[in-house]
Amino acid sequence: MTEPPLRAGITGLAVVSALGRGAQAQLADAPAFGPVRRFDVSARRVATAATLADAGTLADELSGVIAGACTGLSALERANTPLLLGIHGHPDAGRSAAATTAGFAANLAARAGLAGVARIYTCACVSGSTAVADAAAAIRAGRSGRVVVAAGYLVEPDQFALFDAGRALATDGAARPFSAGRSGLLLGDAVSAVVLEPVGTREVAAEVVGWGRAGDAHHVVRPDPNGRGLARAVGDALRRAGIGPDELGYVNANASGADGDSAEAAALRGALDGHRVPVSSTKSVHGHGLEGSGLLELVVTVLAVRAGKLPVNHGHLGADPDCDLDLILDAPRPATSPYALTVNAAFGGADTALLVKAVS
Amino acid sequence: MSVVHGTRPTAPGGDVRTLAEAVMPPGTVPPPLPGFVVSSFSPLAAAAAERCLATRHGNPPALTRTAIVLVSGSGDAGMAEHVAHLVDGGLRLGPLLFFQAVPNSVAGHVAARWGLRGPVVCLCPTGDPKADGLAQARLLVDDGDADEVLVVLVEQTGAGDSAHALLVTKGDSP
Repeated sequence: MTEPPLRAGITGLAVVSALGRGAQAQLADAPAFGPVRRFDVSARRVATAATLADAGTLADELSGVIAGACTGLSALERANTPLLLGIHGHPDAGRSAAATTAGFAANLAARAGLAGVARIYTCACVSGSTAVADAAAAIRAGRSGRVVVAAGYLVEPDQFALFDAGRALATDGAARPFSAGRSGLLLGDAVSAVVLEPVGTREVAAEVVGWGRAGDAHHVVRPDPNGRGLARAVGDALRRAGIGPDELGYVNANASGADGDSAEAAALRGALDGHRVPVSSTKSVHGHGLEGSGLLELVVTVLAVRAGKLPVNHGHLGADPDCDLDLILDAPRPATSPYALTVNAAFGGADTALLVKAVS
Repeated sequence: MSVVHGTRPTAPGGDVRTLAEAVMPPGTVPPPLPGFVVSSFSPLAAAAAERCLATRHGNPPALTRTAIVLVSGSGDAGMAEHVAHLVDGGLRLGPLLFFQAVPNSVAGHVAARWGLRGPVVCLCPTGDPKADGLAQARLLVDDGDADEVLVVLVEQTGAGDSAHALLVTKGDSP
């Protein structure tokens, strides 16, 4: 007799963003953008981001969320739990030849008493979400037990300068996902960790019931305007979850306030087969956390659905006909389904979709 | 680097079958890659990928559900040093640098040129880069998100920049 597939559950989570530390802070209903004071931005076109005033180093903040997510695990259990990390690279890369990304990750695992590092994802804005998809796939296939997935980015001068040089940053002080008149994204701190493990051992906050990973095959950095890669990722997530789009209660979109938001709208309209699922992008409050974004948005999605309050898509000035979606505007909406989707897209045409079933 | 024990989430036993392979040995000077400046990282990765895919598919596009797994311990060290130098010196950054800020970019170049619609995954190896890349390839194929996987290993080290590309699919090598 065939055993039913194992289910992957989130049994611990911890998070830091410009909205604050901890779960409750992430449910704030106001954007966290402000002047950048962490480093000199006097030579930049844009001087705004979402930064946590008392943020420590990336290593310390990642260590903090890993420890927080692992609360309740014994030292022995931690010693049998590997780390999957999403990160741009060692924070000192480019300035110190001794700064290796693998060494940075190994130190994080050692500080947390974990079994070591199983995988380091450096795939830009889908780093954390790809890690979760891989971990859930391995758990469902019976090839993995408990793992910690952590991902982090703290706004720093090099990426800020690059995004500024690429004219990717919003010039009007706000990220306006899917909105008419949007002028770009704004960067934000995003550091989070989750513990994923087969359901049945410990209390579960949410199950990762579906996932998808796909590629646009379209351009070096621009998304396919028809959103075909992202639509395939969403379709794969629904198929693995065994639910239809009519059962979905919420989509936390990737949209950042960039031109490419319309590609995501096309993807969602296609993949959801005309169903008007409530959509918002929480980047409108915590900013774009790059390598940390996918995992932060997964955590925020779980927290929002568990709280029964779907977040507002802030910064919206007016409808863009190319972004025709059921956007959550003006006020949070009550959650009516435990199923929620969070999608991410990155340079290189990388697309991911994660589908969770929140447990109240 | 610590050794992983516990329940590491990797592919099961068995192997992947290599369909094509291309090696760019240390010291290789790749042809320029339009849109990519300053560093040999992306041109090397693209050249290795091109040679490997051409062995299997001839000319582009291949139009396959092929994933790209780019593995590098060094990352684009040349680019990182250049950006740090410009930022620390208060110098102007050119907009082209933005488009090559992450290893995904060259993967996107290869995917667009060859019509590869599978996932794009970039890794920093935790041990042997080839073993990490092949394990990731096996995971993606086993999970059903790709039929083939182009694994590209790129390193920028003092011994000279190098790249190695393998096109693999599910199944034991003969």
